[in-house]
Amino acid sequence: IDLFVRFITLSRGQNAPSSEIDILECKGFDPVRKFLVDRGNLFMKRLKDSRRKIAQLAYPFISDGVTVLTVNMSRVVLEILMKAHEKAKKFKVLVTESEEGPLMVKKLNDQGIQATLILDASIGFVMERVSFVLVGAVGVVENGGLINKLGTYPVAVMARSLNKPFYVAVESFKFYRNYPLSQLDLPNDAKYENAEDTKHPEVDFTPPKYINKLFTDLGVLTPSAVSDELIKLYI
Amino acid sequence: YQRRVRGSYIALHSQIHSSCFQNIYLAGKSITEKAVNRIVNGDTILIFKKSQLILHILLEAKAQNKEFKVVVVDSRPDLSGVSSCERLTAAGIPCSYVYINSSTYIMKKVTKVMLAADALLANGYVLGPVGTAMMGLIANTYNKPVIVCCETYKFCERVQTDSILYNELADPDSMLKTLNAEESPVAGWRESPNTRLVNLVYDTTPPALVSIVITEIAELPCSSAPVVLRRGAVKM
Repeated sequence: IDLFVRFITLSRGQNAPSSEIDILECKGFDPVRKFLVDRGNLFMKRLKDSRRKIAQLAYPFISDGVTVLTVNMSRVVLEILMKAHEKAKKFKVLVTESEEGPLMVKKLNDQGIQATLILDASIGFVMERVSFVLVGAVGVVENGGLINKLGTYPVAVMARSLNKPFYVAVESFKFYRNYPLSQLDLPNDAKYENAEDTKHPEVDFTPPKYINKLFTDLGVLTPSAVSDELIKLYI
Repeated sequence: YQRRVRGSYIALHSQIHSSCFQNIYLAGKSITEKAVNRIVNGDTILIFKKSQLILHILLEAKAQNKEFKVVVVDSRPDLSGVSSCERLTAAGIPCSYVYINSSTYIMKKVTKVMLAADALLANGYVLGPVGTAMMGLIANTYNKPVIVCCETYKFCERVQTDSILYNELADPDSMLKTLNAEESPVAGWRESPNTRLVNLVYDTTPPALVSIVITEIAELPCSSAPVVLRRGAVKM
């Protein structure tokens, strides 16, 4: 929501019409309203295209014979894997159980992709056989860090420990202007579903040093490039 | 002609004044606001020697009734951390004072490290008073967040990866002051051909060791600081 509002009101990106300055100087609300609505429509269009764009960028990273590890259910990751499968690549997928892992496995199997469900506790066991890790995201923060389903951080640390690349597939509208320095710095409403149940958080924070690349609709970025992109948009 | 000169003098003077006011004073206020948000109750914050900006941040946090402790790490020869400590304790902030030798010891008990920068270079390296890099390195080893507070006027086009390429030397004789009143064994260093006293002023901290740079424009990761420079956000 935050990013949507900013997109339609603040951004002076390449798509801003050259008559923007005229609009701001215009008397009357209607031109401004039209401008906002247009920007909103552009945003929605970009949203739909973004997953497709990401799949286009990311599928070359999947070559024949790789084993991909993913955490929980992610529609973006699903799209990437489907695209790779479409291009007749032979690969295996391991999905951690998390909360919606079984759903991800089912969807992959339905597409004809060989997917196995593994316990969250077994990531140490399987990591040596994994070629790379590909996860989706709930959000990406200003320093390029990742907010994703609880259990992503251990996978990232494990991957780094065994020198396996850790990739994140995320649409650019998920970039947040937030800068957590630790797990507890995440805002409470991001962590917990309902205010009363504060026992187990829904998400965890993976610092940028564990992330190799981010596949976004803005291109394949490194974590430090994420902040560059955000700066370009908002400063 | 005199009037013109005087007119331009006044214009220059007011330009300097407003530039100073904006870039230094207002920037400092903006940074303080952002940095104080990073301080939570129960924090133990490590600071290095004396920095007006960092002290301002800590005093402001205290004024907002945050409960926190400070560890002041100091080093010779100037021992400016003493005056830091004095100012903080006068404000009622519980303070510990250590020399840089014991920084690995106390780093375990610290929750955050706040450092001030003298400059931020174009490759993301932080130029600070000598010893800052050590603080960054030790903090990283113990996984403590390192917060660097820096106004944008300190952003610099220079690129440096180490402290040797460019540095300044301060008075070497100040290193002769020993803690007890004895004469230093190297007091005759000028006569000896083999002895040199080197009192370096700056050192560089790599961007990977810094968790966040707080400037008045934004809170940035250290490697993106030069991007702000490129975008022309630094208006001189």
